[in-house]
Amino acid sequence: MTGQAFFVLTALADGPRHGYGIVGEVADLSQGRVRLKIGGLYGVLDRLAAEGLIEPDREEAHDGRLRRYYRLTRDGRVALAEEAELRAATARVVRVRLGLAGAEAAG
Amino acid sequence: MSGDLDLEQRYRRVLRLLPGYYRERWEDDMVGTFLDGWLTGDTEADEYISQAARPEWAEVASVACLAARLYLGGAGTPRRYFAWGQAVRRAVLAVMLVHAVLGLDVLVRTAWSRRLFGLPAPSAILTIFSPGGVWPTVYYLVNFAWIVIFVALVLGRYRTAQITAVLAIAAALVGLLQAQLTGIMPAPFASWAFWVPLSLAPALAMAAFHRDAPPPARWPWLLALPAGDLLVIVPLLALQASSNFAWVPDFPGQCCLLVALACLAYAPRAWSHRAAGSGAWSLALVLLAAAAGAYRIASLTEYLHDPHLIMVGLGELLILGTAAALVAPDAARAQAATPAQPPDPHPMAA
Repeated sequence: MTGQAFFVLTALADGPRHGYGIVGEVADLSQGRVRLKIGGLYGVLDRLAAEGLIEPDREEAHDGRLRRYYRLTRDGRVALAEEAELRAATARVVRVRLGLAGAEAAG
Repeated sequence: MSGDLDLEQRYRRVLRLLPGYYRERWEDDMVGTFLDGWLTGDTEADEYISQAARPEWAEVASVACLAARLYLGGAGTPRRYFAWGQAVRRAVLAVMLVHAVLGLDVLVRTAWSRRLFGLPAPSAILTIFSPGGVWPTVYYLVNFAWIVIFVALVLGRYRTAQITAVLAIAAALVGLLQAQLTGIMPAPFASWAFWVPLSLAPALAMAAFHRDAPPPARWPWLLALPAGDLLVIVPLLALQASSNFAWVPDFPGQCCLLVALACLAYAPRAWSHRAAGSGAWSLALVLLAAAAGAYRIASLTEYLHDPHLIMVGLGELLILGTAAALVAPDAARAQAATPAQPPDPHPMAA
């Protein structure tokens, strides 16, 4: 799973969001390091939808335009949980190897 | 005129880069998300923004990258775009194979010239010495980079291949400019006629190797590298060493004849596949014929003083065109196939 896909799935983990909501949430989650462009966002959304990890939730009118909201599917939740566990396990190894884990526990 | 358009219309014009089936599914959503990033909800401010603002270059670039990925399709894209993607990927691999075979030839002959195989020294005409000077050495080393690029592509290391290709064509460009400025032109390779169709164009076309692209058939392509050296380079060197080289075509001519032979070899399959007609190989051969033809035509300018060589070159083009015409109908069927609309994975609930 790419970093962008991971962030997009994470942005949808606590509820449905529309495209611009996902862009903003990903920027917040990544502390400004990942700023999705529209072409990039819809490349990711298209791929995740094709893989059955996200699906449309609803459409709402906003300033005369329709906003389409997306949500995680059951498969999307499973895939995100597995990816999060993998990344957490990797992060734990990194912290141990850097000698940060013991210092944290002592602190 | 773009000055009469508002922001939404300007962005919709950018989105025309995308294939129709994709726009049908995503365009309104993309426009909505784009405008959400610009408009404030204040009528007066939004009217000004709508008239004055333009999509940023980064936004345009992101749409262009998405368009390249969709037109040079991978798994899950409509049949027409998948055929284009496969054709471009195979054509790029074939050109990279030619580069790699040439690189392998330089590598083997350099090692042989240094007597690393325990064999007697090769004849003077086959001997390769490392060139002196920085840029000639860089240009010489680029030969080996193409082997790395080809093998990386075949093994699915697309990013490694793309980065190495950028470095290789940049180094080759500097070597080419240096050769031109100093008046040293080690033809046929240090020429624009070679660099543009056989280095720059395939390097750009490597965009077709994205994460949705199916991996190439590994072993046939890997085996083609030593096979190409044994079946093409060794006979040519043997002819060169035996001084029977005068009637052998120059390198652009060899490229034309090689592609023509490949078209002839594939023609029976192209015709037998007319019913099923995947056509990606036929399309790849037509693309290769276009590249070889462009190379031949551009390099003919070196022969303007010799009408005989011009006639030989035109004859090679005629052979190439005739052979390509045999597979062209199958190629046309592949690229003109009606894009089968993939099922919408997320139809909106009523």
